[in-house]
Amino acid sequence: MLDEALKLEDVYLSTSELSGTQFSIPRAVSYFENIRASESNEDFQLIAGANLTLKLGETICIGGPSGKGKSAILRMIAGLARPLKGHIYYFGEYIPAERLTALEVAKRQVGYVLQNAALISNLRVVDNIALPLRYHKMGTNEEITKKVNMAMDLMRVRDFAKMFPHELSVGMQKRVAIARSWAMDPKLLLMDEPTAGLDNYNRRNLLPLIDNMRTMFKTSIIIVTHDLMIAKELDCNLVFLHKKKLTEPHSFDYWLRSDNEISKDQFRDLQSNEKF
Amino acid sequence: MQTQLKNWQKMTPVGRMFHYLGIFILKRKLGQFIALFFRTVASLFDSSHNFKSDSRNIILQTFFTGVEIFVPLFIVATLFGTVVIINVITLMGKMGFSDIVGNLMVVVIIRELSPILTAFLIAGRTGSSLTTYIGSMVINSEVDALATMGINPIRYLVMPSVIGGTIATIIMNIIFSASAIGAGFLVTKCAIYIIGIFPNLQMIIGNAPNLQISWNYLSTEIIKALTVSDFVFTIIKPLVFGIIITINACYQAMNIKRDIRQVPKATSRSVITSFLYIVFADVVLSLLNFISYMKNLSTII
Repeated sequence: MLDEALKLEDVYLSTSELSGTQFSIPRAVSYFENIRASESNEDFQLIAGANLTLKLGETICIGGPSGKGKSAILRMIAGLARPLKGHIYYFGEYIPAERLTALEVAKRQVGYVLQNAALISNLRVVDNIALPLRYHKMGTNEEITKKVNMAMDLMRVRDFAKMFPHELSVGMQKRVAIARSWAMDPKLLLMDEPTAGLDNYNRRNLLPLIDNMRTMFKTSIIIVTHDLMIAKELDCNLVFLHKKKLTEPHSFDYWLRSDNEISKDQFRDLQSNEKF
Repeated sequence: MQTQLKNWQKMTPVGRMFHYLGIFILKRKLGQFIALFFRTVASLFDSSHNFKSDSRNIILQTFFTGVEIFVPLFIVATLFGTVVIINVITLMGKMGFSDIVGNLMVVVIIRELSPILTAFLIAGRTGSSLTTYIGSMVINSEVDALATMGINPIRYLVMPSVIGGTIATIIMNIIFSASAIGAGFLVTKCAIYIIGIFPNLQMIIGNAPNLQISWNYLSTEIIKALTVSDFVFTIIKPLVFGIIITINACYQAMNIKRDIRQVPKATSRSVITSFLYIVFADVVLSLLNFISYMKNLSTII
């Protein structure tokens, strides 16, 4: 039994892959072979030669300055953008770039919480959470109702069950999106800025939930965030996107105490606080 | 050390030829359009599907495309029918061909006018609304969210619109033909009657009220002129046009590049290109009429 949930091997990603959906423009098989990612148009390279290994049940936070492609990495892992070069292994299984679609990835129980919750706007909150469960017929009606209620209770959105997404605030939409992903029992959960737009109370409620998923359901989690304190509170490793590459994972304290460029950029406030 | 063969090197020369042909086609817009059509057909056989939600979406789409467009379509059909009937009748008065009335009505209304006008009306309404609807979903990344939940957007969004839109186009085409002939006849009769009331008008129009046109005559002439190919074309033409309209609308919507200002552009593009494709398809389908013509020619000779 392999113990790795996700492995990125020397992955290259171009900005042009991020526009549009992949459902209209089919790509011929040779498209990915003809590009020499390492040589061609460096300006468009968002990520060049990233490596990452995530063990089962492990949690990793990806940090870094904004606009450097953190969300793009998550989109690529979720199958919404395709790498120009490199290998991505899901639970030890390699999917070649031409077959790497979001549907193929979703079959392997990978959940994704988008940055702007992306709830289906003509469905109520309950139906939004129940949509994937009903579509894939994951259990009987009672089981689905029970599961949806549980998810709503966990994220404290039960009171807004009959509302439409446009009636909710951004933070509440985000909680519904997390509930929707949670209800599908993902083995690997990708979260894009889960705490952005949440108040302190709900943030404090969210973190134990993530911790529970990690310990009870053995879910592997990747969190992209600017809120680096999450890494400390969840006691997980931090990875930074630096110079188009992912650094080695290290603990929060390591980054805080180390004396390299990233630490100086990202932890200046915290370091200066500690001296006092 | 053995070098790894690339995909195209593994192929036979014939296979490689088809491979390059495929790449050539997929790079063109029309090729992607056709590819979307085939993916829609392929999505019918997806392993993960939900019959309940699909059938609900199809019924909603059929209702939206068909029922809500009924009033404008009925009015357009009636007025165009009147125009055609008046023109044909006056032409008969000049030329004296009584046999040609039925043939003209069938060719003009049932074969050409009705499918084309139905398709134009549906392209203007359903096509544009589909592009806006799916385009906004693309921009709000709802399509991405659907895909990450394992729901195929082509199956969930495109397939029901294509099937529902096509069914509605076929039904509306039949209604258009029927109301153009039936209601058109009634309106013509009314017009003739109104002219008869005002004798002063006869100074201008002449002896138009004397035109003796009866439903009996018109219907028997039309039924005499109908052939099997007309019945086939009443199904095939709106089928092709409906597929073109809905697939084109979905294709334009799916290609929007995450910019809200692209939605209206894509909408107008979808309607205009639909018109273009419809007329092209109509020309191609009309060429099929030559086949029956040639058959008749050989029997005459």
